[in-house]
Amino acid sequence: MSLNDRESWGVTNLRLAFPKKKSMLFKDLSLDYHKGEKILLLGPSGCGKSTLLQVLSGLVPDSVELPMRADRHAIPDNWGFIFQDPDTQFCMPYVDEEIAFVLENRSIPRSRMHKLIQHYLDMVNLKLENSHQLIRTLSGGMKQRLAIASVLALEPDVLFLDEPTALLDPKGTVQLWQTVRRIGNGRTLIVVEHKIDHVLDFIDRVVLFNHDGEIFADGPKETTLARYHEKLDDFGIWYPGVWNGYEEKQFQKSDGTFGELILELNHFEVLHQKCVKLSIEELMIHRGEWIAIIGENGAGKSTMIEGIMGLLHTKGKLCWAFQHPEDHVQFVFQNPEYQFVADSVEDELAFSLRIKKMNEDEITQRVDQSLERYALEEQRMQHPFQLSVGQKRRLSVASAMINHPDVLILDEPTFGQDARNTFALLDLFQQLRQEGTTIIMVTHEMEIVSRFATRTLTIDQGKLVKDTLIKSNKGARRLGYGFDEHEHVIF
Amino acid sequence: MDTVLTNTSTLFFKINPSLKFILISSLFIVYLFVQNLNTMIWASLFFLILYYFVSGLSGKWSFWFVLITLIVSLFSASAMILFGKGSHIIYHQSLILITQESLARGVLLGLRTFTFSLIGMIFATTTLPVPFFYSLMQQLRVPVRYAYGCLAAFRMIPIMAEEFMHIRQAMRVRGMTRQKGVKAFCERMTRYTITMLAQSIRRAQRTAIAMEAKRFSMTEKRTYFYEIGWSRNDVYFVIILLLTVALGFVFSSYFPLTPYTNVLDQ
Repeated sequence: MSLNDRESWGVTNLRLAFPKKKSMLFKDLSLDYHKGEKILLLGPSGCGKSTLLQVLSGLVPDSVELPMRADRHAIPDNWGFIFQDPDTQFCMPYVDEEIAFVLENRSIPRSRMHKLIQHYLDMVNLKLENSHQLIRTLSGGMKQRLAIASVLALEPDVLFLDEPTALLDPKGTVQLWQTVRRIGNGRTLIVVEHKIDHVLDFIDRVVLFNHDGEIFADGPKETTLARYHEKLDDFGIWYPGVWNGYEEKQFQKSDGTFGELILELNHFEVLHQKCVKLSIEELMIHRGEWIAIIGENGAGKSTMIEGIMGLLHTKGKLCWAFQHPEDHVQFVFQNPEYQFVADSVEDELAFSLRIKKMNEDEITQRVDQSLERYALEEQRMQHPFQLSVGQKRRLSVASAMINHPDVLILDEPTFGQDARNTFALLDLFQQLRQEGTTIIMVTHEMEIVSRFATRTLTIDQGKLVKDTLIKSNKGARRLGYGFDEHEHVIF
Repeated sequence: MDTVLTNTSTLFFKINPSLKFILISSLFIVYLFVQNLNTMIWASLFFLILYYFVSGLSGKWSFWFVLITLIVSLFSASAMILFGKGSHIIYHQSLILITQESLARGVLLGLRTFTFSLIGMIFATTTLPVPFFYSLMQQLRVPVRYAYGCLAAFRMIPIMAEEFMHIRQAMRVRGMTRQKGVKAFCERMTRYTITMLAQSIRRAQRTAIAMEAKRFSMTEKRTYFYEIGWSRNDVYFVIILLLTVALGFVFSSYFPLTPYTNVLDQ
């Protein structure tokens, strides 16, 4: 059977623009796909892949009104769409009700619903004791699998997946793609994804986009990826072996000697609603350490750093070597948007300096320095909320660092970031550490742990179970990409 | 919300939510026109008893709720008591003027606030959002878009509460809370508002698109996962409610505790 005999859908000569933008997002873009194909769309952030996915599914312009025109716009009859954010795909409070919502939309008789709900939950391997469970008690990975289950209830021929694992931890990511692989049998899949380790196995066609939203390569997986391999680094794609291409800066990992003691915990307990959520017998942290806190979801990693920051009630000894810890210790939240307190990037940076009543000349000087170092000069007057994901993260680190704190505590700083941004951030942290900043971070990414951390703390079920010094020195590497001659990180 | 409610299998949970909604709202209108202080006293007593037996709140929450309601009622009463008109003066000091008439009116107003809150809570604590909106769609023909829209909004509440906590923590970390004064307070409120609004608008839009992607249609016929019908419990409910109201009126005429049968007259 030739390709032409199969059902095919797609757009021809698509033109699309966002309101109030000068240039068009797509100019005469065409993409066709056939029944049963499994396609991966790759490209840099902001090149319009997600929008294209919405166009292909008909969500644009039916649900999202954007000015667009196309010579041909063929939408499959039965399709399902899985979005990035696990929290905003549901409209009902309980698992069974959410799937029932789809069945109701399809006018399935009530008598068949219970059986079907169980059927779809089984399909995505979501094992719950009782399907009448609150959705918000599920982990991110389980939520995304529920999203797939509820989309499967549409009995779709074509599945659109828009970075479904961007907000999942590594374990959730693996499970999600296993599920997609299983249910993808016999279905058409169109995937937009930045973390392609687990996607590549079942994909057969790859489409590459450039920064201007144009398709510059389209073909079978092996040949396309082999030919444009170096583009993946450019786009910040997480592909297998991406870490090998990343050259760390020259640094002595750890010779076992660190600076003075800066934090001492003894019989330390973090409480939440009068229950002990985390307990640590004893812990000493020294200047210049890079501490990675690892553990399962819900083990208490975030609780630990929030406790150390004094954001939760604690018991026991927590002793900083500083008189005013709030001036020396800074915290960066997982979601940078929560911590933005000003209406422009510039004011955001100046905020904590103004609180300290520093004189304006010095403030301007420091802000300029930071803008340059964190590559935010062009965004200086923008509202923090208008920045890209990577820029937001950089701004949140920059505003924490502007006071030159001694300790920087971060909650999953590389979460949801593409490879390019992650490497740039790591270079930056590395540089900060060498300048004497102690870095404490929660992370799921084991590559970061093994390459950067000087010490790992493993948390399990609310207890510090393992405290390992990492002494292995990977040796001096060549001065890597990411720094220009003035030691400024290039983003 | 789920830890707050104790037991969702009691009689009041099994009543048709639309019926409950209509009857409870009509009670508001009934007590709006009661000007007899005695009736109001007895009614609030009986509704307090009813509330005690049927409320879905756990003991601790229930206690705090009643206490807070009492305080609020006291406030609404005090405005009337302290500055009302009347000829039988009890206390007079500069701006404050307490008369027997204003005292009666104030107490009535306070009790009305108290009764309204109790009635409202009897409804709110025994009605789960999902069956309520399903019932509205099925019995009262409320358009599906409003019903599912509200349900989606309900799902946002715990997410927003969590978000509020995060923002509060972030403000502390950034040193926002170290600034004192009215201006700093206003700024802080602006931050909360902007951040929460931005997040909520984005979330609402995403949820709406996700719902449409699941072929939610506002016009086509649909089936229902829950079919909310009628049962014997509904009859019991009507009887209990009528009895409570009737007892209030009967007791007020047989055991009048005060001489104020119409507070507007005197």
